[in-house]
Amino acid sequence: MWQYIVKRLVSLIPLLLVVSFIVFMFIHIIPGDPARLLAGKDATAEEVEMARASLGLDKPLYEQYFVYLKDTLTGDMGYSVKSGAAVSELIGDRILPTLGLTFLSIIWALVVGILIGVISAVFRNKWLDHLGMFIAVSGISLPNFWVGLVLIQLFSVQLGIFPTGGAEGWKSYIMPSFALGAGIMAMIARFTRSSLVESMKQDYIRMGRAKGLGSRQIIFGHGLKNSLIPVVTVAGLQFGFLLGGSVVVETVFSFPGLGTLLIDSIQFRDYPVVQAEILLFAFQFIVVNMIIDIAYSYLNPKIRYE
Amino acid sequence: MRKFSVLVLILTLALFSAACSSNNASSTDKSGKTKSDKEITIVIDQNFITLDPHNAGDTVSIYGIRSMYEGLVGFDKDMSIVPALAESYEISKDGLTYTFKLREGVTFHDGEPFNADAVKANYDRIMDDANNLSAKRSLKFVDSMDIIGDYEVAFKLKEPFSAMINKFGMVPMISPKAIEEGTKYIEANPVGTGTFKFVEWKQGKTLEVEKYADYWGGDQTNVEKVKFSPVPENGSRVAMLKTGEADFVYPMPQQNVKEFKNSKDATIEETPSTIVRYVSINTFKDPYKDLKVRQAMNLAVDKKAYIQVVKNGFGHVLDSTMAPETQYYAKQKSYEFNVKKAKELLKEAGFENGFESEIWGNTSSESVKGMEFIKQQLAQIGIDVTIKSMEEGTLSDEIYTPEKPEDAKVQMWYVSWSPSSGDADGATRGLFSSEYFPPNGANTAYYDNDKVSNWIKEANASADPKEQEKIYNDIQRTVYQDAPWIFLASDVNLAGHSNNLEGVYVAPDGVINISKAQMK
Repeated sequence: MWQYIVKRLVSLIPLLLVVSFIVFMFIHIIPGDPARLLAGKDATAEEVEMARASLGLDKPLYEQYFVYLKDTLTGDMGYSVKSGAAVSELIGDRILPTLGLTFLSIIWALVVGILIGVISAVFRNKWLDHLGMFIAVSGISLPNFWVGLVLIQLFSVQLGIFPTGGAEGWKSYIMPSFALGAGIMAMIARFTRSSLVESMKQDYIRMGRAKGLGSRQIIFGHGLKNSLIPVVTVAGLQFGFLLGGSVVVETVFSFPGLGTLLIDSIQFRDYPVVQAEILLFAFQFIVVNMIIDIAYSYLNPKIRYE
Repeated sequence: MRKFSVLVLILTLALFSAACSSNNASSTDKSGKTKSDKEITIVIDQNFITLDPHNAGDTVSIYGIRSMYEGLVGFDKDMSIVPALAESYEISKDGLTYTFKLREGVTFHDGEPFNADAVKANYDRIMDDANNLSAKRSLKFVDSMDIIGDYEVAFKLKEPFSAMINKFGMVPMISPKAIEEGTKYIEANPVGTGTFKFVEWKQGKTLEVEKYADYWGGDQTNVEKVKFSPVPENGSRVAMLKTGEADFVYPMPQQNVKEFKNSKDATIEETPSTIVRYVSINTFKDPYKDLKVRQAMNLAVDKKAYIQVVKNGFGHVLDSTMAPETQYYAKQKSYEFNVKKAKELLKEAGFENGFESEIWGNTSSESVKGMEFIKQQLAQIGIDVTIKSMEEGTLSDEIYTPEKPEDAKVQMWYVSWSPSSGDADGATRGLFSSEYFPPNGANTAYYDNDKVSNWIKEANASADPKEQEKIYNDIQRTVYQDAPWIFLASDVNLAGHSNNLEGVYVAPDGVINISKAQMK
């Protein structure tokens, strides 16, 4: 197993190199000019050129790429074009709130999603199942910005329980994590239900019943564990997405996360920030995928990695 | 597996108890915040980009900075120039020497005295090319600075510049001690002379300032602490004003204004703005070359309806090339909505059946709405407009990169403008002088009138405000008649404040002024 993990981590290096190259080329090739945006709307051509030179953007593209690569490898992510702040600081400030929000969202989505899924599967085609699936469908179909605005109206404006936004104190995490997790919870509930219904038809379940095991032991001990592979896949992928920050929910709750930073940076063509952030997302995604793969082998001992 | 179910149970319980305890903990205060009576929160729509007063270009950073800093002169509520760190100033007859008498007994927030040496330290920092500061553009006409006495300085200009005094208002004074520490220090530790001094800035989150007890102007405010908090989502800003989390909200979304009509807790203020909205027409291209076509387009658009439909009723018909709050504004006879006359003009120009046209703009919902309105209005005279909305960076590339006028593909551009320091030069030169075609400036209408280009130079060369006023009168009249734009509207600034707060206002350039904030 350890060998496998090391191998996977080593294979990260060429992957990240490719990602860095693609991101660099794309962001530089798309239209838009940070020098002009920096110089301002009433800048003369000369002033724009001065701004370009000060950003090092007047050099040939390949030269810029090698400078960028060298700096990144030595841990220097550069400075934001827009604000002049160190990119490491900008991202550092926002990564913790985003991580916190992601974990909270995923945890409640997993707990509630699996619970609803199990209840629905056990009481298949009964009213509890219908209720569970109704909640799931609502979770998927209600857009999260709308859920967010309704939550603000209800819990901040009317009841005054939670602050409307920000990331100060645990209270400000409750509503955004609910809005973010709702869709994922719904997905997990559906996957758990269908997967568990499938598992319950298997021979080993019948075997368990014949052995006289209680239904709780059958469902949680045998059925659920074997049904979790698709659930882990979905939850893992969603987790990866959430680590990138959610622009919509962050905007609604004025939450200082990575999503809004990325959008702001793309709009301003803030090359160093965009490059660093996308590289970080790629890294996170690859690591999350690796963790999912490892989780598979725990859930199904037949899956083994060498 | 028993472990797993126990874990599920614990997590469920934890979530429940969290939800319940939150109920109890905060039932005491509706807003969910704890703050003293003399602390206010100002909620704005964007992040501060920088707090370096010599390197800020965007409005939001500028008002963050102006809460802590002052220049030699400042701007009044109506954008007129008022003395600040200079008691008085004098402009020589040839318009080349500006002499400032500095205020005595002023100290920076770090205790350093303000005097001629401090001004010199600031001047040297800005003019040093190695620092690459945007404030250098404000002082680009300045040739040298002399210290005349401890409290008297003089600036010599290379050539006369009519808006120079406004530009001095754009240059805040930093403590010389902070300047010695270097740019990184200044960005993180603002030290000025304003009514408020710096406490803390969290990038992307909040800026906090507190009252400066030794302010030279005495006791200006009873507010102890001000927190600026960026909240980009309109609905969330409105909600914060309702919950009391925010004491001042700007900008206030137009569509939410009526929700506060009968509110006992909050009031919406409407103040004039220097932002003008227009469609720039590429006068270099056919059929827009023809004056009659451009005038017909102006007549075909109902500006009052534009303000109702696109701006929710908030705005004023644009009756000159600049907004009324801009220096030397002169009202013109506006193009009255008249489809019949517009059709006649088009017929005279040889376009009885209209023509096909294209309008560009950014992707904001208001821009799209504005462009749809223009399309619908111009359809009345047979002009078939295609709307092309582009992401801001792409749009800016398309507009500003063509090297020659004949390369420009733009036909019409739905856009806005505001002069950064409220001066007539800023609202004219870059937009209408033939020396400022892209990529060299913002004359995106490729408006080319020798008379106007020369007047702009003459106005700058003159040091006599009376003469300048006359010249800008001529410029506005001529440009308005030449119709290089479809003149639409000038904006109003909408801000909401809690009824406990007074004295905070939004100036016409969109800058929030907190220096005289009073809590009741």
